[in-house]
Amino acid sequence: MNLTVNGVEAELVSPPLATLLHALREELGVTSPKAGCQQGGCGACTVLVDGQPRRACLVPLGAVDGAEVVTVEGLGSLDGLSPVQAAFHERYAAQCGFCTSGMMIAAHAYIERGGTGERASILEALGGHVCRCTGYTKIVEAVGAAARGEVAPADVQADFDPQPGEPEILVKGAPA
Amino acid sequence: MKAVGARLPRYDGLAHVTGRTTYVDDVRAPGLLWTKALRSPHHSARILSIDTSRAEQHPGVRAVVTHADVPQNVYGHLEALGVPADEPLLADGEVRYRGQPIAAVAAEDEATAREALELIAVDYEEREPLFDIRLAFDPGAPKVHEWGPVFPHFGPHRQRRVRKGDVEGAFDRAHVVVEGVYRPGAIEHVPIEPQTALVVPEADGRLTIYSCTQAMYFSMGVVAQHLQLPLNRLKFVGGTVGGGFGGKVDTASETISALLALKAQRPVKWRWTREEEFLASSTRAPWHIELADAVTEDGWILGRRTLTLHDAGAYTRFSSYGLTKHAFHHAGAYTIPNVHFDGFVVYSNRVPTTAMRGFGVTSVSYAVELHMSRIAEVLGMDPWELRLKNANRIGDVTPNLVRLKDPSTVPVMQAAAERVGVELRPEYRAMSSEPRSGDLLPEHLVGNAGQTNGTEAR
Amino acid sequence: MTAARPEVLLPSSPEDAVRAFGDGTGVTVVAGGTIVMPDLTYGRLQPARALLLTRSGLDTITREGGTVRLGATVPVAALEDAPEPLAATARHVADVEIRAQGTVGGNLCAAPGAGAPRGDLQAPLIALGAHVRSTGAGGERTELVEEFLHNGSSEGRLVLEIEFDEPQAGARAALDRPHTHDYTALSVAACRGVDGTVRLAASGAAPHGIRLPSAERAYAQGGDAERAGREAIADATFADDALASAWYREQMLPVLVRRALTDLQETA
Repeated sequence: MNLTVNGVEAELVSPPLATLLHALREELGVTSPKAGCQQGGCGACTVLVDGQPRRACLVPLGAVDGAEVVTVEGLGSLDGLSPVQAAFHERYAAQCGFCTSGMMIAAHAYIERGGTGERASILEALGGHVCRCTGYTKIVEAVGAAARGEVAPADVQADFDPQPGEPEILVKGAPA
Repeated sequence: MKAVGARLPRYDGLAHVTGRTTYVDDVRAPGLLWTKALRSPHHSARILSIDTSRAEQHPGVRAVVTHADVPQNVYGHLEALGVPADEPLLADGEVRYRGQPIAAVAAEDEATAREALELIAVDYEEREPLFDIRLAFDPGAPKVHEWGPVFPHFGPHRQRRVRKGDVEGAFDRAHVVVEGVYRPGAIEHVPIEPQTALVVPEADGRLTIYSCTQAMYFSMGVVAQHLQLPLNRLKFVGGTVGGGFGGKVDTASETISALLALKAQRPVKWRWTREEEFLASSTRAPWHIELADAVTEDGWILGRRTLTLHDAGAYTRFSSYGLTKHAFHHAGAYTIPNVHFDGFVVYSNRVPTTAMRGFGVTSVSYAVELHMSRIAEVLGMDPWELRLKNANRIGDVTPNLVRLKDPSTVPVMQAAAERVGVELRPEYRAMSSEPRSGDLLPEHLVGNAGQTNGTEAR
Repeated sequence: MTAARPEVLLPSSPEDAVRAFGDGTGVTVVAGGTIVMPDLTYGRLQPARALLLTRSGLDTITREGGTVRLGATVPVAALEDAPEPLAATARHVADVEIRAQGTVGGNLCAAPGAGAPRGDLQAPLIALGAHVRSTGAGGERTELVEEFLHNGSSEGRLVLEIEFDEPQAGARAALDRPHTHDYTALSVAACRGVDGTVRLAASGAAPHGIRLPSAERAYAQGGDAERAGREAIADATFADDALASAWYREQMLPVLVRRALTDLQETA
């Protein structure tokens, strides 16, 4: 079975009834989509299949032979964040981060299909995604900000340096 | 205080948004085995026999463990704090809640592990379970533990007690007695990351344990005790938790995974299913709280009687600690000079309960605030004014004899009133946390500061 | 792994799918996967043969001369602008992503029970007087949706196509679900056909979607929506489940019937 994952062609040996989630995580080591419930109920496994957001835990591999799959790793990276990723970071939309992958894929798809950032439309688009940490407010804010182009990725990446007038930041860098 | 008011980026934010945060399930270990646990289908039963031989022989199964494999099977989470152990890692002779783990299997893949569970034969003798803790004290009630219905180690008592002042006198002098019963229910934590552990046995005999625990050193101690290993044989890797909220302090997956890893000498992962999370993971406890307040017609709370029953589920875990915190706060943010509090940790055949945000205190705050509103309603008094009048002030003494130095009840309530557009009367807008005087120092509160009136506070 | 790997069939046309399904013995059908895949993941289903309908060409929608034909694997999302009450019902199934993946055929065949009624589309299809064409033992046959469900036909049948005539008007009344994670506990679908007849169906009033003939008969005699609501109870088999009690459903069915009929009256 063949898949193009984040632009890279891969040949898979997982059986056709294995889930896409299993193939991505266990066979290809692409771990951003998470196993939160494996019933399609939490949204943490959501990836783009041929541009459309799908629950990877509900997709049998046999159904997506030849498809293009995009995960968070394909949205952007540390030296080139996508607008959605920049907005999620800047607006504190992630706490524990476990639901974040699915939320961002859904947000990305929402914006791609013309989402304007109007609150009700964001709630509708992300309605299948559960977050237990944030209470959703910052997530909705981040999606709106991304939709309206309010967060420039370049600004977010320079975030560790204090801006003029800002106090010195006490915690630098990332944990090991 | 340079950080206060500063916009600090989350140090893990960039990792979260690029999918690089490594949770336990994301750690790769070659030769990994998958774990499944056999869980009790019964709420309460004797175990007459366990036969794992067929499971052990099933192709693809690398290790099966039961209580017989555990060096110290019964260990208590709070043994270091004087709470005797009562919970087995793997059930031995009986089960006390549906979902209690009896055996565990490590196999080459998840499906094989699941098949192996079917091959474990357990002979049960079902017993009548207890679910309603209010019935636990009845002579004929089903027993959860042999020593009785409650946790018996609060010093010489079998309940957490607080006694202060003269509650009888307070009730004699009351114009009105307001009673209420409050029963906040159990709540599941539902972290999006299910309980997951990965244990790698190293060549030097150590175990590397990837854990989602909220309390690494604590969990390290639990694993060390159960397995009777010195701490320097364990290396815990953790700190990245996909949501805990108090539910990941029970060291619920690490020890069994470690046991399997030692037996199989292969890396072992145990990732709970969402169904296991709902069935077997600990919850916030249900509580039963009865309040009776002796109140004057002008809104002074002279005294309070409290009876709390805390549903610990099948085992103690941290319940005694939660109840103690609950006891500290049973007057709420208000000054009540005469109190009589009894709180019991009661066992039931439900999943053992554990910490969850505000452990022990949220239940009593909920009860107290509803009760204050009830009192206001009974007296025909404004609920803000009732609270402000009785609110903690500097110099007031709490039921557990803490003399308050800097309570913030009054200014916080005033700020809240302003935020929600409630206009307080001038007298109440003028209130502050300053020590009581004048109209705010009625006779029954004189001498309240610092004096015990010769009664115990325990 | 000792469990025998299932044989996976991937037909590339409707005819292929029919052949592959045969009489359905030992075949598990996977359409959108939203219902079946969790059963596979959790080991509740261990099929010998699985039929993946992804490429079977059963996903077309046609509207011709007042007749709508839905292929079995048309996604629920595609029904959001179908005639009412199908559209409103489709919009209230799960969330955006599940609707894009789940299919009308899978929803029609959703097994009853399991703690929640999942075949939401059954009721509006019954109200529309829809027919379902299926294959299996004894070959192809076409029957009314309510007969298909009543005969327990979702076992051993492969749905190929669902067909109905566009109604004059359609209405839906339902208990609001608080969130996209909830299933709708009870809903009523009402249709007025081109010939003026009114058909009523309910979801959540029985193990699967049912027609409400007693309510229809009562309504046909005088157009009293209130009375029709009361008569509907006779058609139901209420049960407790995780969403609502039988008692509550019995209180609410007459209300929803009355509302659906009233809305229908007001629609041109």
